[in-house]
Amino acid sequence: MAQYTAPRKPGLGPGFWQVTIAMTILNAIASYFIANLDIDKYLPEAADPASDIDALFKFLSVVGNAIFVYVVGYIVYFCIVWRRRASDGPDAIGIQIHDNPRLELWWTIIPAILMVIVAFFSVRIWINLQNTIGDVLTMESIGHQFKYEFRYPRLKQSVYDDMHLPAGTPVTLHVTSADVIHSFWVPEVRLKADMVPGLVQTLRFTPEKIGTYRIICTEFCGRNHGNMVATLHIDSQQDFGRWLSRQFKAQGQGSGPIALASGQATAGQALFGQKCSTCHSVGAFDQKIVGPGLGHLLDDPTHPNLVTGEKPTPADIAHVLVNGYQGPDNSQGKSGPSIGVMPNRQANALSNSDIANLTAYIVSLSQTK
Amino acid sequence: MAVAAAHPAISGHEDHIHPEPESFVAKYIFSIDAKVIGVQYMITGLLFFIISGLLAEVVRIQLLRPEGGFVSNDTYNGVYSLHASGMIWMTIIPLVTGGFGNYVMPLQIGARDVAFPWLNLVSFWLFPVAGVILMGSFIVGAPEAGWTEYPPISLQGPPGTSLWCVAIFLIGISSTLTGINFLVTIMKMRAPGMTFTRMPLFCWAQLATAMLNMVATTALAGALLALFLERQFNVPFYDPGRGGSPLLWQHMFWFYSHPAVYIMILPAFGIVSEIFPTFARKPIFGYKMIAFSSIAIALLGFMVWAHHMFTSGMAPWLQLPFMILTMVIAVPTGIKIFSWMATLWGGKIEFHPAMLFAIGFLVTFSFGGITGVFLSAVPVDLHEHGTYFVVAHIHYVLFGGSMFGIFAGVYYWWPKITGRMMSNKLGVWHFWTTFLSFNVTFLPMHWLGLEGMPRRVAQYRPEFQFWNDVASAGSFVLAASTLILIYNMATSLLRGKKAPANPWGARTLEWTISSPPPYYNFKTIPAVLKNPYDFGEPLPYLGIDPQVDEFGNPPAGQSARPAHV
Amino acid sequence: MAVSAINSSHDAVRIRYENVDETYRETRDLRLLGFVLFLVSDVVLFSAFIFAYLYLRNSVPDWPPITSTGHQLPRFDVAFAAINSCVLFGSGATMHFAMENWKHLNKAAFNLWMIATIVLGSLFLCGQAYEYHSVAITWAGSTMGATFFTLTGMHGFHVFVGVIYLVVLFLQANKGVYTGSKYFGLTAGTLYWHFVDVIWVALFYLFYLM
Repeated sequence: MAQYTAPRKPGLGPGFWQVTIAMTILNAIASYFIANLDIDKYLPEAADPASDIDALFKFLSVVGNAIFVYVVGYIVYFCIVWRRRASDGPDAIGIQIHDNPRLELWWTIIPAILMVIVAFFSVRIWINLQNTIGDVLTMESIGHQFKYEFRYPRLKQSVYDDMHLPAGTPVTLHVTSADVIHSFWVPEVRLKADMVPGLVQTLRFTPEKIGTYRIICTEFCGRNHGNMVATLHIDSQQDFGRWLSRQFKAQGQGSGPIALASGQATAGQALFGQKCSTCHSVGAFDQKIVGPGLGHLLDDPTHPNLVTGEKPTPADIAHVLVNGYQGPDNSQGKSGPSIGVMPNRQANALSNSDIANLTAYIVSLSQTK
Repeated sequence: MAVAAAHPAISGHEDHIHPEPESFVAKYIFSIDAKVIGVQYMITGLLFFIISGLLAEVVRIQLLRPEGGFVSNDTYNGVYSLHASGMIWMTIIPLVTGGFGNYVMPLQIGARDVAFPWLNLVSFWLFPVAGVILMGSFIVGAPEAGWTEYPPISLQGPPGTSLWCVAIFLIGISSTLTGINFLVTIMKMRAPGMTFTRMPLFCWAQLATAMLNMVATTALAGALLALFLERQFNVPFYDPGRGGSPLLWQHMFWFYSHPAVYIMILPAFGIVSEIFPTFARKPIFGYKMIAFSSIAIALLGFMVWAHHMFTSGMAPWLQLPFMILTMVIAVPTGIKIFSWMATLWGGKIEFHPAMLFAIGFLVTFSFGGITGVFLSAVPVDLHEHGTYFVVAHIHYVLFGGSMFGIFAGVYYWWPKITGRMMSNKLGVWHFWTTFLSFNVTFLPMHWLGLEGMPRRVAQYRPEFQFWNDVASAGSFVLAASTLILIYNMATSLLRGKKAPANPWGARTLEWTISSPPPYYNFKTIPAVLKNPYDFGEPLPYLGIDPQVDEFGNPPAGQSARPAHV
Repeated sequence: MAVSAINSSHDAVRIRYENVDETYRETRDLRLLGFVLFLVSDVVLFSAFIFAYLYLRNSVPDWPPITSTGHQLPRFDVAFAAINSCVLFGSGATMHFAMENWKHLNKAAFNLWMIATIVLGSLFLCGQAYEYHSVAITWAGSTMGATFFTLTGMHGFHVFVGVIYLVVLFLQANKGVYTGSKYFGLTAGTLYWHFVDVIWVALFYLFYLM
């Protein structure tokens, strides 16, 4: 039986280089498009490592897309150009080539180099992640079936379902679980950590974009796994402070009644110099730095009341120290400096004895003439 | 040389062939013939494919609406867990190893059976028993925590979780025994002259898979045994409250389950490696590289398991080596893909359904492999882990990879196994409806995951509804497309044209004997002189039966070629 | 004189073996490879639990671990286990001698050494039973108990099956199932028995010495 061999076509096939160039141009356009894609528009980059992770994602997309276009493009092209035609007899065979060592060498080396580059960039971003700062606000989240518990440093009781964070503050979040494995994921932050009972994992990020985002459980945890969602609120620093103090209040002071009678004026004086003298003088009411002078609170006839409108008794002074003062509403367009905001006891980190001592000192100022 | 001299065709004395068993039970129920066992695996595997597929449809109906409501959450959790467990352990692994491996591999190496036929029988019968236990767990409360069953939740889960442990343990024994059987068969029972470099690539794939099967599966057995002991007898391995560790399960489970995905894909690689040369009418390109990269993938596959655990809480420094090794595996995989593409180049391509599925495999598996690289990059995985992005990746490589390979193998070897031809037209319809609906179903899952949809949920947030509905619609068409295949198989069995020995003009040994083959496969074991992929040359075998002429063509007047569609 | 006698009997055995028909040799090769691979997969099974033991041991600061009531579990008593280990390793030696005698066609000596192996193996199991009875920890009480009882239990189960297998082999050998040149079953039994010994070396070190 005669051996039928297909006539050897010259070159790589009709239009091979045109198709290759076309695919390369397509890839170039796609790569440009991908590189300039603003992922933030589709899924906000709400915290610090998100843009790094998105950059790696875009890089992988460019590489992956290029590979896929070439693979599928050549497959389709080969199927068209090298298909069996009706004019081919039943014994028609293809080009009987077994291998091409040089080609195989190159298509081993080039993907290997490509993978090295991919690995290099991935490791770079991975190292960035390991070095993300945190620690300015350190808090915990504990997973339960089927809700998230959040523990803040100054709140005695935990908060559920709503997590608030201040924008611009590096956060260290320790996560664990009280029962089965859960997971803490904020798509807009791009970070995820499994919440494993008996183990603590740590996430570090800096919230940046103010807004409301989703905290989602991605590790099957039981019947209501699909409904285990919480809300992350990234607030401005002030809003966060206000929220925190509201929580504190809602939890009922927490640290018990303040023993004003045992306040030490000398201790209060030292504390005043540390925490209050930036904004308050010890002179007359009108000697303002930021807030009014506190020297004659109890006996100034021109200002018989505290800024809150209360009588200047020790209890009322303590009340201002505890709650701070939000100031009158200046949003009606009045120009000039606002009366300012006096931070509450959490923001000033004042314990019960601090408040007692400060109150004693301020009272003692009025008693000296 | 001494081996060839001992060959009966040269030395002159006949092989001893045992007489065929007589009773129906010995022939078809408790048979030790690898071909019969192979068919038994295929039928049982097809059954579990249908069951697991129907479970998937329950999932997709539930996910039509954000609030769910089609079934209770508990039922839903059992449904998706058994869908995955059934597809992985009762469909794909048995089909590619026990099914195609048993039927085709001994034929391709010129053997009469596998090394241990009675062990083969035991391997098979463990399969339906395990499958019934697995699916039967619905009765007592199906396992709910996926096919991965992480403790602590799997410690508390429904009673079906313990049944799940038993079922997977049993199918694991089946797999291990099959792995040992195939490894010894391929090492020791190749026909005279069939050196490793003359062995068909399907057998190389089975060799690599057998290595994985044999070594990895007992690690899973250990994990399952510990889970079972802890659930039933309170023996503490995984409960953190009693000194155990949930991460211990994850390490032990994934040490098996990552090689398991290579067990599922390597035989599919082998199947398409046979189909491409046959329907392009030219040798497989880069035979040696494909063969060795299979072994490389098998070995590397043991070193990457913790890429399933990047967010798990294991020591962060571990992420680095596992990320890099996972990226390394992309290289031998890429080599294969380029080699298959180069097999298409310069060919005389015939778009038979087997070839269509092989080409479709090339496209979908490449896509799945690329998303795998995304997942291997730890910073990106931190976002994508546990979401529908992973579900998309899984289905592109397991359905678009393994199942497409299985479909291709069905179309390719159906005439050999049944002695009947299938309808090419129906096969083409099956391919295009499957390929298109598959992409409609699983492509949207990538961005569902990126945008925030977690996996294993019976309810989801309303913003994800549109693409879930698209995916569900695609899945209904996908399910329906399987009916085309079943109809094709049924009509072929009932009134298909009789199949010649070699309808495709292929060149491996199984095509030199009748369709279906006699129970003894080869009257005399052939001797092998060259690799089987040189089209246009005489078949490189000595002493084959005259079912085909020296070029592998049926006798004049009986040609089933060209296999045009 | 003694040396050359041994040498010539060696040659006799070798020649006798190589004249064995090809079919048997091929079958024996298949079965030997298959059995070795089975032992490999069994090693992986034990390795999985050994990994679990090392992982769990490493995840707590104290070993033996401290229970929820605050007291530390006691370490195992090495002395008794060491004696029991010698019993098991002794049975490995007796098995070796049994095989040697079989190869040299000394049936009576083979029988003696086989019985010794079976007896020593059974003694080991009794020793383990006593050890289980006398240790102060429970299977479900701690990860120490969990790993100890599961691993030594799996090993003991393998020894138990092995003893039964040896009894079967003994009976088969005496019924004439095996000859001087065809004795794959005995080879498999020896391999299995040595495997059981090797596993015990690891377990003894991990639980009693480490």
